[in-house]
Amino acid sequence: MIFKIFKKELKDTIRDRRTMLMMLVIPVLIFPILINVVVNIQTSFADSAEEKVLRIGIIGDTNDYIAHKLSAIPESFGPKKLIPYSGDSLKLYADQKNETIDLIIWYDKNLEEDLASNKKTSIIWGFDKTNLGYSQRAKSYMQIIEAEERFKRYDALGIDEQQLNPFDTIYENTASEQQMLGELAGGFLPYIFIVFGFMGCMYPSIDLFTGEKERGTIETLLTTPVQRWKILVGKMLVIVLSGLMSSISALIGLFFSIQFLDIVPDPSLVAIIASILTPGFIIKLFLLLLPLTIFFAGVMIPISVYTKTFKEAQSIIAPLNIVFILPAAVGLFPGVELNLATACVPILNIVLTTKSLIAGNIDYLLLGISFTVMLILAAIAVFISFRQFGKETNILN
Amino acid sequence: MIKIENLCKEFPLSKEQKKERNTSDKFASAVSNVSFDCNPGEVFSLLGPNGAGKTTILRMLSTVIQPSSGSIEICGIDAIKYPREARSKLGFLTGSTGLYARLNAHEIIDYFASLYNVPHAILKERKSYLFDLLGMNEFAHKRIGKLSTGMKQKVSICRTMIHDPEVVIFDEPTSGLDVITADSIIQLIRDCRDQNKTVLFSSHIMGEVDLLCDRLAIIHQGQLKHHGTMDDFRAQMTGKSLTGEFINIVQS
Repeated sequence: MIFKIFKKELKDTIRDRRTMLMMLVIPVLIFPILINVVVNIQTSFADSAEEKVLRIGIIGDTNDYIAHKLSAIPESFGPKKLIPYSGDSLKLYADQKNETIDLIIWYDKNLEEDLASNKKTSIIWGFDKTNLGYSQRAKSYMQIIEAEERFKRYDALGIDEQQLNPFDTIYENTASEQQMLGELAGGFLPYIFIVFGFMGCMYPSIDLFTGEKERGTIETLLTTPVQRWKILVGKMLVIVLSGLMSSISALIGLFFSIQFLDIVPDPSLVAIIASILTPGFIIKLFLLLLPLTIFFAGVMIPISVYTKTFKEAQSIIAPLNIVFILPAAVGLFPGVELNLATACVPILNIVLTTKSLIAGNIDYLLLGISFTVMLILAAIAVFISFRQFGKETNILN
Repeated sequence: MIKIENLCKEFPLSKEQKKERNTSDKFASAVSNVSFDCNPGEVFSLLGPNGAGKTTILRMLSTVIQPSSGSIEICGIDAIKYPREARSKLGFLTGSTGLYARLNAHEIIDYFASLYNVPHAILKERKSYLFDLLGMNEFAHKRIGKLSTGMKQKVSICRTMIHDPEVVIFDEPTSGLDVITADSIIQLIRDCRDQNKTVLFSSHIMGEVDLLCDRLAIIHQGQLKHHGTMDDFRAQMTGKSLTGEFINIVQS
């Protein structure tokens, strides 16, 4: 009987365009579209920042030391145009404010004399940090000028650079690329589960309970000789399936983006991602995803059963997404790791377990605890759903 | 047959409802001590103005809601103790058409037949009979959302009758329908009586009651105001019309 109800509800849900849009179309397309747009915008900004002829206002004249040094820097470090202000600092700052110049460089009048007498002298670069690439250009120009002057002083003093820099220190990352991927991207993956799993559950849940109440079909169904718990389970299975489908669709979209949209510049990283996605990994992920989605369905069903209209249900359920994302966000903080305590915190345990799964250093005891905690929570949510569905004041408007 | 005795139903009052009604009572009585029976081969009508408690009685009969007290027997089965068994004997046409807009008539009928465990061969036969009787073949493959109110009501009736129930309950079956469709439904109710089924129907329309009913009960404010045969009702008429008599009883 449960399967009969499940089959009919699934057919009904599949024919609902809004649910299909939320369950399949948006999750599959969102990452390829979003990533494509972001990458294109980023590339175009980076290109235009690199190609932009920076207008550099200098406080001195074109025959100054700094002007000479800047002019000597090859165009490969970015094209530039020097504009001298001959000591007119007010105009220099005013022009930068009016954006007629992009960068300003301010230095002491006695700069050349200070350098000649091996003294330290100040140079101030002024830039608007909201403009991408300006500060990097200023730093790269300054590094070249400074290095040249430093080596000149070493030569003058007859000092070998090694005498001043005794250590050649290398800080080596001993974490494997898979571990790094787990740390960096592992937290992102549960977000997909939470956001899309939630979204995928939401519409069928409202449609199959509040919607049926609004349309009067629930009463018809309740007059049949089917036990209420079977009706509940049949409907719940469709909601869970929809949530799972939504998460999986988003994952497929993300995987497609990584494979074909060139968003990961390092091919070895793409190979690692592909190697992580083994059947074993997918099964373990499913083990976590299943109770999470049942939990979502279990939270949404009592609300859908209780509310009288689609709008009312939507206005209560939609903000819950934020409540579920908050513990997931904690999982992204540095130092928060999967242990006995965190494995008992719902949602957070999913984030941390997924991170460990991707990094390949999962502790199976903690995985089991996380799974059990989610399973218990899902069972409680199902029980509450059953209680609410049994109340006659809830099932009839 | 249907037999109800001293049926009562109380609904809990919310804070807002208490304020609206200016009462401190925790419950409101929707049905109070209603008793009647309805026999096979008989059309029994439940009459009453809006909010009289007719739908509440029908919902208790169909076991969708539980009575606060009293007893309900359907075909000899205690419907309070054994609601599933009682429901299997029932065909209940709710006040709204209660159909799934994204499915077509075939799919809906097959679905409900499967919920009543109707064997495939019998389903085929029943479907063919009811589709012909109700003139549903033309639109049986169209999705419900695209059908007119009359077509939807026909599908609803077919859904109610598909498992050939012994007891049929119709809650305002001709409400909002055109004359032709309403007439075909009245004919179907007569057929049910001829097939020795127990038919209980609620209505506002006295003309329909006059045409169809063998016995009737008038409910007002949750209480039984009149219970008897249609002939007795006609005989005791003091006004010129059945509607007038109905109003007299309700207002008395």
